[in-house]
Amino acid sequence: MTVAEGAKYVAAAYAAIMAVLIIYYFMSSRRVTLLRRDLELLESEAKRQAPAPGAE
Amino acid sequence: MKKLLSAPALFAAAGVLLVVGVVLAFWYSPIDASSMGFSQKILYYHAPIAAAGLVAYGVAFVAAILYLRSQDMKWDRLGYVSVRIGLLFSILVMATGMIWGKAAWGVWWAWEPRLTTFLLACFLYAAYWVLRSVVDEEQRRATYAAVFAIIAFIDVPITFFATRLLPEGLHPVVIGPGGGGMEGSMAVSFGICMLGMLMLMAALIRRDLAIEDLKDRVTDLKTSLGG
Repeated sequence: MTVAEGAKYVAAAYAAIMAVLIIYYFMSSRRVTLLRRDLELLESEAKRQAPAPGAE
Repeated sequence: MKKLLSAPALFAAAGVLLVVGVVLAFWYSPIDASSMGFSQKILYYHAPIAAAGLVAYGVAFVAAILYLRSQDMKWDRLGYVSVRIGLLFSILVMATGMIWGKAAWGVWWAWEPRLTTFLLACFLYAAYWVLRSVVDEEQRRATYAAVFAIIAFIDVPITFFATRLLPEGLHPVVIGPGGGGMEGSMAVSFGICMLGMLMLMAALIRRDLAIEDLKDRVTDLKTSLGG
């Protein structure tokens, strides 16, 4: 096998690795962003529902 | 918070090691003298990814035992996350292995011991996920998953030792005595890639654990707010 022939397979393999890892990383980053946003909303809602200090 | 902080550090270290490793693999290590030739460069990421995947399954195995001993849900979560990362690495191993197989052997797939046992591991751990999705009750799900993870792990050492126990297969021995006849500069590049990939696996597990923690906090808050 020549270097040129081998290079096509090597490039394909490394591209596949990079693609899968980058996609996974960005998918999980998006999950973190959405969860943090949900958490902030829920925490502010919890504060809003909590009785004010001194209230009956 | 501590976990979230440490995962980026692990990602950074893994990134540096993987970049250095691949640069060395291409510009320092020689082209393999065997029939594989230049396509052997796939090895520098392929084998470390496979090793990291198997280590992730090992983490799930240990977590399963610890869960069954303590009934602590943190071990169940570690097992679940480890299997997820193990499966991610397994997908990468299968993809890069098929590409390398086509280059080196002329076929995308061969039913030889290492490949077959690795495929079996993928199916077993995919089944672990299916099992988790069909059991609703948390404690029961964790127990079933832990037992299944222990049983599934039986295939991991078989996969690792397949090339040694059945040497007539196509797959070469890479790690261990007589490991593929790797010369010094190849071994250095390979070692750095291996360390980088193991760090990447650890970083992904830590990050996913932090995500699961975050998910639990959201669920708890939703429950306490009555929605």
